[in-house]
Amino acid sequence: MNPFEVLGLEAMFALDLKEVEKRHRELSRALHPDKFVGAGASERRASLNKAVEANEAWRVLRDPVKRAEALFRLAGVSVGERNEPAASPEFLMEVMEWREALAEARATKDVGTVGKLAAEVRARAKGSEVVLASTFGLQKPDPDELKLSQIQLGELRFYVRFLEEVSAIEEAWQDEISQ
Amino acid sequence: MAYSEKVIEHAENPRNVGTLDKNDPSVGTGLVGAPACGDVMRLQIKVGENGIIEDAKFKTFGCGSAIASSSLATEWIKGKTIDEAEAIKNVDIVNELNLPPVKIHCSVLAEDAIKSAIADYRKKKEQKSA
Repeated sequence: MNPFEVLGLEAMFALDLKEVEKRHRELSRALHPDKFVGAGASERRASLNKAVEANEAWRVLRDPVKRAEALFRLAGVSVGERNEPAASPEFLMEVMEWREALAEARATKDVGTVGKLAAEVRARAKGSEVVLASTFGLQKPDPDELKLSQIQLGELRFYVRFLEEVSAIEEAWQDEISQ
Repeated sequence: MAYSEKVIEHAENPRNVGTLDKNDPSVGTGLVGAPACGDVMRLQIKVGENGIIEDAKFKTFGCGSAIASSSLATEWIKGKTIDEAEAIKNVDIVNELNLPPVKIHCSVLAEDAIKSAIADYRKKKEQKSA
């Protein structure tokens, strides 16, 4: 499935998510089973399949990592654990330090440090997204750019994981306050 | 997802969590990451003059299976020669912990961490003798 095609969009990284969501909503409405009550069985099935595809496309496109993966696949590049270059030792060292600092801040309830770390990692994630956006623009990506962007995708996954951890900590703290 | 009892046991009571001095010439540090999930694992060994691993420590930021895999790895390599430790395969960890297919990459990460710690130790040793 080409998620961009399903929602009638150009295959590129920098998408206006509001517009994507609008397309998804419109398509879902047009494909709603209520509109096919009088239709034949095969037409009903086809519209249902299309509705499922539209949901899947929206799920992929709203997630930067999944969107990038889809673009790599469209460019003929395999993605996933064994197909991507390993993260550099320097990068892993940085991630390790962030994770340790975050664990420490969690233990000591250091809200300020958690916020600071989150801002730093968010900025780095933004940087990766900028590179991905320039690789997967309107023009066909060239092989060198694809290689560089693969590293950015790998790093983006570590940032996303880190920020999930931040959200989990913040939620846990919220729960404590409201109790 | 259901974790096996052994995974839960290791995840709740991880062995050998901590750090060794990475600047110590007898310490090898392995740092690996799982691109699929963004988890990181550090495994360190301290090797004696006789080539036997005297101590091992780890720190893993990841799921229970990743923690259990690295905890088990440090337990296994302590008292082994570096060659013996290098021979440990991820399937040994999978079998011991009954890891399900979706968690096999955690055991791969632990095997990579052992190998990377040994490689770092060897590199230091060569530099010292050079």
